[in-house]
Amino acid sequence: MAVIGETSSQLALRDPDIRLMLRVRDDDPVAFAELVELYQHRLITVMHHLVGNKEEAEDLAQEAFLRVYRVRKKYRPRAKFSTWLFTIANNLALNTLRRRQRKPAVRLNVRDSGPLGPRPAEQLVRDRASQPGAHLQEKELAAVIQQALHGLNERQRMAVVLNKFEDMNYAEIAEVMELSTKAVKSLLSRARENLRLVLKSYVYMDSEPIPDSGDLDDE
Amino acid sequence: MSSLSEEDRANLVAFLDGELDEGTARALEARLNLDPSARAKAETLRKTWELLDYLPRPEPSTSFTNRTLEKLAVRHTTGPHLAIARGRLPRWIVALGWAAALVVAGASGLGAAHLLWSGEETPPPEAAEVEEILVRYPRVVENERLFEEIDNLDFLRSLGDPKLFGEDETGS
Repeated sequence: MAVIGETSSQLALRDPDIRLMLRVRDDDPVAFAELVELYQHRLITVMHHLVGNKEEAEDLAQEAFLRVYRVRKKYRPRAKFSTWLFTIANNLALNTLRRRQRKPAVRLNVRDSGPLGPRPAEQLVRDRASQPGAHLQEKELAAVIQQALHGLNERQRMAVVLNKFEDMNYAEIAEVMELSTKAVKSLLSRARENLRLVLKSYVYMDSEPIPDSGDLDDE
Repeated sequence: MSSLSEEDRANLVAFLDGELDEGTARALEARLNLDPSARAKAETLRKTWELLDYLPRPEPSTSFTNRTLEKLAVRHTTGPHLAIARGRLPRWIVALGWAAALVVAGASGLGAAHLLWSGEETPPPEAAEVEEILVRYPRVVENERLFEEIDNLDFLRSLGDPKLFGEDETGS
């Protein structure tokens, strides 16, 4: 096995996934398959929330794993393995989303049609006057929430997804997104405020009384 | 209380996330105790965050691992024969090897299967064994497409379990 520095070995002691990646680095034939099995669900979930499409999410997750394999010889553990993996995933996802913005090719999914098809965030805000029924189906609600998430810009969305679904703290998100912790704090604040505005009607649809919100300044 | 500044809002979110230092957190907590509108905003932010739990978490395709490994095999070899020659078998080929063993078990009874599967520790067949099996049992090759989706050897083994997939009993 290749010699690694003291800090790296301490990290490896604490993080079993680092040890697994070091086996990948050393061309252990089953280690990479184990890595894929271990992380595929998390990676695909994150990608799915970013790009909104399962097929594309799997393609991106697969590409992330292949990149991990390609650069395996250069791998040096400096942080948790998951931080490194999601840094690769972040770069891939943001590049994809930016390419999409430059060339908006609309792929029509069956799910996109109908009354819960994509609507601009402003429309969702205007509609809040009509309080949704308490019996709003979970699937319909999920579609509304997904729409609200996709109304965020890509960096806000990435910060939200990493915080919520990967349980990353601000420092970890900062490392993945190559930002300062202060910038992450600001990103998340704006993202969550945007989500609050768009989803306000749905927050209290189980008929809890809406608290006195005199100062809830709508932007 | 005056409206929340941008910094206040950022601190409020960070407070909900447990990211504030102790001093700032205590000061904000005191403020929330005194200001109902700030408290209401905090509550709405918290409940909005909880709504994200309704988002689906899709299950990966069962073939995801295999497809990923196959891409590696394609990138690093010129074809399956070279992969076999190097001793690094794509998983579907390993699965084919086990499937071939199943065919043997079906034809010759469990005794043969026992010979091939002497326990959990039995290693997958060597490349030369796989090639021999593929030549002797062309039906396995013909059904390669079916075996490609298998990424769990336990499932493949279970196909040979007569209790699960044996002959139907009379009258059932």
